Amino acid sequence: MSTITISNVTKAFGDVVVLKEFDQVFQDKEFITLLGPSGCGKTTMLRMIAGFERPTSGEISIDGRVVSSDKTFVPPEKRDIGMVFQSYAVWPHMNVFDNVAYPLKIKKLDKATIKQKVEWILEAVHLSQYADRMPNQLSGGQQQRVALGRALVAEPKLLLLDEPLSNLDAKLRESMRFEIKEIQKNFGISVVYVTHDQSEAMAMSDRVIVINRGVIQQIGTPIEIYRNPANQFVADFLGKINFVKGEVKDGRIELTGLGQSLPYDGPRTGKVVVAIRPENIHLSLDSGDLEGRISSMFYMGDVNDCRVDINGVQIRVIADSHSYDKLYGNEKIFLNIQEFLVYEDDGSDEHTKIVT
Amino acid sequence: MAAATTAKSPGSVPAEKEQRFYFDVKWVIILAIVAFLVIFEVLPMLYLVIRAFTADGGVSFHAFQRVYTYPMNWMALKNTLITATCSMILGVIIAFPLAWLVGRTNLYGKKFFRTLFVTTYMVPPYVGAMAWLRLLNPSVGTLNVFLKNLLHLAENPFNIYTVGGLVWVLTSFYYPYAFITISRAMEKMDPSLEEASKISGASPLKTLWTITLPMMAPSIVAAALLVFVSAGSCYGIPSIIGAPGQVHTVTTRIIDFVSIGNQDGITDATTLAVFLMVIANVVLYVSNFVVGKKQYITVSGKSTRPNIVDLGRWRIPITILVILFATVVVLIPFASVATTSFTKNLGKPLLSFADGKLVTDNFVLRFWERVVTRESILQSAGRSVLYAALAASFGIIVSCVMAYLLQRTNVRGKSIPDFLITLGSGTPSVVIALGLIMTMSGRFIINIYNTMWIMIVAYMVKYLLMGMRTVVSAMSQIHPSLEEASLISGASWLRSFKDVTIPLIAPSVVAGWFLIFMPCFYELTMSTLLYSTYTKTLGIELFTYQTFHSQQTAAALATVILLLVIAANWLLNKLTNGEFSI
Repeated sequence: MSTITISNVTKAFGDVVVLKEFDQVFQDKEFITLLGPSGCGKTTMLRMIAGFERPTSGEISIDGRVVSSDKTFVPPEKRDIGMVFQSYAVWPHMNVFDNVAYPLKIKKLDKATIKQKVEWILEAVHLSQYADRMPNQLSGGQQQRVALGRALVAEPKLLLLDEPLSNLDAKLRESMRFEIKEIQKNFGISVVYVTHDQSEAMAMSDRVIVINRGVIQQIGTPIEIYRNPANQFVADFLGKINFVKGEVKDGRIELTGLGQSLPYDGPRTGKVVVAIRPENIHLSLDSGDLEGRISSMFYMGDVNDCRVDINGVQIRVIADSHSYDKLYGNEKIFLNIQEFLVYEDDGSDEHTKIVT
Repeated sequence: MAAATTAKSPGSVPAEKEQRFYFDVKWVIILAIVAFLVIFEVLPMLYLVIRAFTADGGVSFHAFQRVYTYPMNWMALKNTLITATCSMILGVIIAFPLAWLVGRTNLYGKKFFRTLFVTTYMVPPYVGAMAWLRLLNPSVGTLNVFLKNLLHLAENPFNIYTVGGLVWVLTSFYYPYAFITISRAMEKMDPSLEEASKISGASPLKTLWTITLPMMAPSIVAAALLVFVSAGSCYGIPSIIGAPGQVHTVTTRIIDFVSIGNQDGITDATTLAVFLMVIANVVLYVSNFVVGKKQYITVSGKSTRPNIVDLGRWRIPITILVILFATVVVLIPFASVATTSFTKNLGKPLLSFADGKLVTDNFVLRFWERVVTRESILQSAGRSVLYAALAASFGIIVSCVMAYLLQRTNVRGKSIPDFLITLGSGTPSVVIALGLIMTMSGRFIINIYNTMWIMIVAYMVKYLLMGMRTVVSAMSQIHPSLEEASLISGASWLRSFKDVTIPLIAPSVVAGWFLIFMPCFYELTMSTLLYSTYTKTLGIELFTYQTFHSQQTAAALATVILLLVIAANWLLNKLTNGEFSI
């Protein structure tokens, strides 16, 4: 059992409030990702769970035990948590075995048990043959596994990961995602994962918490936050998106500047912002919801990345890569909008930009 | 295909030819620096060794036999090793906790203490010797008398004219060397290494013991060796503290032998100097190539704030302890020097109370008047400024070029001048000066003996490293692409250096200049051996007043130097927006 209850936690460094009234319960064996741009407060939240920072106000409890509040504070070494740091923090003066064995030595287990447990965990992170190596003889990916092994060896119920993959190269990053997910399932532990990479969040999480400027924007499964982003920030931060301003009139949305409209039977009225993901637009040479001119196409191998000009406004469309040959040489094009989202136009232009 | 090949080759051949005759200015510069260092550093040191073994014409150990059978020399050797070792141990024992408290805990006034301890590094050691001489003189020492009265002792508790006294003064002036080295290493350490230990369940003390301390071990050893060599090759402190109590060290013996002036004296000095040089070089080798190799470089992904250890209920007691330490080691000595400069009769207190009235007849401004009016003092001060400025200016030019060569190029041989500069700085001042006297007085064509140039050359050999390190570390922070952009725009290497690199590293260049200037300005050891009637410097003047004429005048001069150090520090801080201080 490892449930984390975060009640009304606010954190400020001096006058700067980095996290506002964070209120959430993380369930046992759940894989939670804190997702957001750098400086949004996600790492601060993680460090508060670990006990490296104290909340300015609010309370954190793990398994019903209050670990941080106005009155009580349990230091990190008394929390029984595993953690992987962004810089791995593998101790350069100890070999792989000693690094991994450290938490067990602190627990004063006997030598035989330590040896047995370390060997078991090194097996799990595929480092068995490296036990005697010093960290400077390891690659980044291997050091990362050492850090992971060290975090898991004492069999904590809760594992914290602070952007653990950001220093790895792209290929390794992708394979590590699935390995971490696998380990979480096999060990049956709760994970809190911090990242700014939306595809990492999508691939691993049970629930994603999107944070911006210290405020939770949305909480949901990867599918929910991608399909039904709660606001323009979330829509923009996850994946690619086109924002077009418009106005609801007689069951249609008149798109400002485009001189065209889309059918709409939703609840919103008046001024709105229409958000369309580029992959939800189908291009057709015959007919469609909107009409425009192809201004550019980039053949990316797996997709055909196009820009369509509608009356001076650029709309990005991600089409099937085979469409490149079919559309090449054509100018006039029709757009079929498969799916779109409508937000209230609050007047701010921050997210209503054309994504190119 | 064939046509393409023939079409290409006429164009490429001249290009290759051009390359062959391409004049690489880097080589000329390296050659110039190496030549300077070989002539003024390697040659003198080699000559000392050769001379020590061939004193009687043939290869022999006679000189060694003679020197080391003389009991006074054995005493000197023993004293040097004992004082250096004790200062090293004490220095590290003091510096490590201080560096940790200032860098990693919530001690009150951390910033202030840091500045204070680092500033002492720039104060000439002989000022400390003067102060402690006054404070712990066995019969009239101010602190001695104060403690005697306070604790109702039968006699004065301390005698500064002993090996113990020497160790105390050496420690109190060389621990900042260790403090700076250890603090730097502590700052560079990735804080998540300690956090990883805590989250593994280790208590703060356990973390300090199993993670922080072992990680810091190479730096601690390096710091210890630095204190050892500095204390062992110090002349100012043992000559002021040791001489009255007949506590001789190798350095004071060397200078005594040189001042005898005859051939035997020079031979004995050479032989002792070779001993000192060998110790220093071995230590330098160990700390650079054995310990240096073990230095753990930790690359931190993002800079998290170092985790600050909460001292809890110990916060106030520990802060008080640090204040006490700072008072005894920094404040009291400096204050003592300043008050001495106003005291008419050193046997009496500066100010006293009699019949409820303040007695001020022991307070005089006469020594300050002397300092600012006496022709010889002013001339010496002027010379010191000139020599130090010249040494710093030449030195900083070499530093900039070296920084460029080390950080930006792969020119073969760039490590030779780097090695020689490190060697020069690790060589005891007495050895450098003695070597220069013996080689630069016409024996090998060059004769600069008794001129200002021999002093400037000596200063550069000894203090170049301070400037070079500063500029090199600044250079390593600047991405090479900034210079490449200038090269691609058509600027030559020198032009790019002048237009792009220099402006970017300007603050460190200024800092580096001061780091060479300050120690040269008040230099004593090398100047003692190298000066002539017309090249007397401030250090010599002060030392002469201290030992022969008037301690008060010396104290006034020392106060001036202290104020200058503080002013330079402040100026540097302002000029570089707090990025640098001495």
